[in-house]
Amino acid sequence: MFPSGRRLDRATALFISLLAVGFLLATFDVRSSSGGATTVIRDGAQTLAAPVQNGIDFVVRPVVGFVDGISNIAGLRDQNERLAAEVRRLEDRLRETSALERRVAELEAINDVAAPQDLATVTARIYSAGPSTFDQIRFINKGSADGIVVGQAVVDENGLVGRVDLVTRLSARVRLITDPLISVGVRVQDTNQTGAVTGRGDELLRLDMFDASKPVREGAVVITDGSRFPPGVVVGYVNETKAADVGFTLRTTVDPAARFSELDFIKVIVGWSPLDADPETGDRLVDPPSFTDPGSERQ
Amino acid sequence: MTGVKIVVALGLVIAAVLIQSTVFQYIRPFGFAPELGLLTVIAISRYLDAEQAMFVAFTGGFLQDLLGGSPLGLWAIVFTIVAFVTVKVRAREVAGPPAVAIGVLGLTVIGLVTYMILGTLFGLGIIGRPGVMWDMLIPAIYNLVLALPVFWLVRIAIRPQERSMIR
Repeated sequence: MFPSGRRLDRATALFISLLAVGFLLATFDVRSSSGGATTVIRDGAQTLAAPVQNGIDFVVRPVVGFVDGISNIAGLRDQNERLAAEVRRLEDRLRETSALERRVAELEAINDVAAPQDLATVTARIYSAGPSTFDQIRFINKGSADGIVVGQAVVDENGLVGRVDLVTRLSARVRLITDPLISVGVRVQDTNQTGAVTGRGDELLRLDMFDASKPVREGAVVITDGSRFPPGVVVGYVNETKAADVGFTLRTTVDPAARFSELDFIKVIVGWSPLDADPETGDRLVDPPSFTDPGSERQ
Repeated sequence: MTGVKIVVALGLVIAAVLIQSTVFQYIRPFGFAPELGLLTVIAISRYLDAEQAMFVAFTGGFLQDLLGGSPLGLWAIVFTIVAFVTVKVRAREVAGPPAVAIGVLGLTVIGLVTYMILGTLFGLGIIGRPGVMWDMLIPAIYNLVLALPVFWLVRIAIRPQERSMIR
């Protein structure tokens, strides 16, 4: 392997040196604040890599879509029938709920509460994921030039996706709510009790209710409470009915509303900041800034 | 010539990391993707000197850190360890595809276990995650499947006239 003992020593010395550099870098990165040197290096790398990743994505996306289409063609007829039945069922439900929606809208107008649908958003496309199985992140093709800043909430058509945690001029990194580093203040809609949802690194989220006097039931809707994310955004659905034992935290799991394996286009909520919210209720204290960039839209 | 070999090897690792972050966001059988960067480091470490292999591995790992969500340096450490172990074991390699297959599987598992331990030490909470064994085993199996084309490509790029891919 190594022709001489001297050469072995050099290789081992280099190995130990590189490990030491790696540990120093990791320690420095973990301890440095956002906006520090490591953030600048990440921004630079992301700025350089984004065009290449966009290019690869541009080539790969249609090919994957075509292959997906071919592989799914056999199941399309069944899927079509199922969807037709689903549409009929949803139309029935829509008729039932439209009256309720009108009442909610009237109440919100009276109370000057902004529903999540009324917040200014920027639509972006996901062009890359993290380069490792363990990364619960996505990269989007909009950045600070489009009004995106660190901390903004990201949603898809189903619910909360994550939070922006790194921004360059033309791209941004979104940390998904499935990441164990992300915790979301939530409210269970039917009991109105609050708790926190934390990522587990897999397809489920962990729900902790610290002062639950009522059980949470399977299927209950879990929404953001407005502490760090805009209030009223659907986070997911309770996976398992649980009641709290006296003196203990109620802990169960939640199915996220967003479909992370199918994410393509997402929306970044640029019209809301935690500083705008009432710390008690999560309700908006000030009007969101109007954002008129062509890349944005009023949802 | 040595410089060219390092540049080519580095290019291959960078390409692997970029492909991993783009192509394999779509292609995820059973929700898992291979660890292409790790596999490429194993492949190039078969053909480079120890110092060259570790230098390329560390740089590639650093890029993976920059484009990922983990603290800077974690993947750099993991890639360096995998390169070092690969260089150590390649001389002891028993001839034949089974030995190479076991090597790829084992080295990928070593890399992922190292990342899990380091990630947990640096606050990523990986070891406590549900299904963490699958996070380690399935990418290792995918790497085994991809080893043939990746080793072939690396061999052509780095040492066209020497060493067969699978002896």
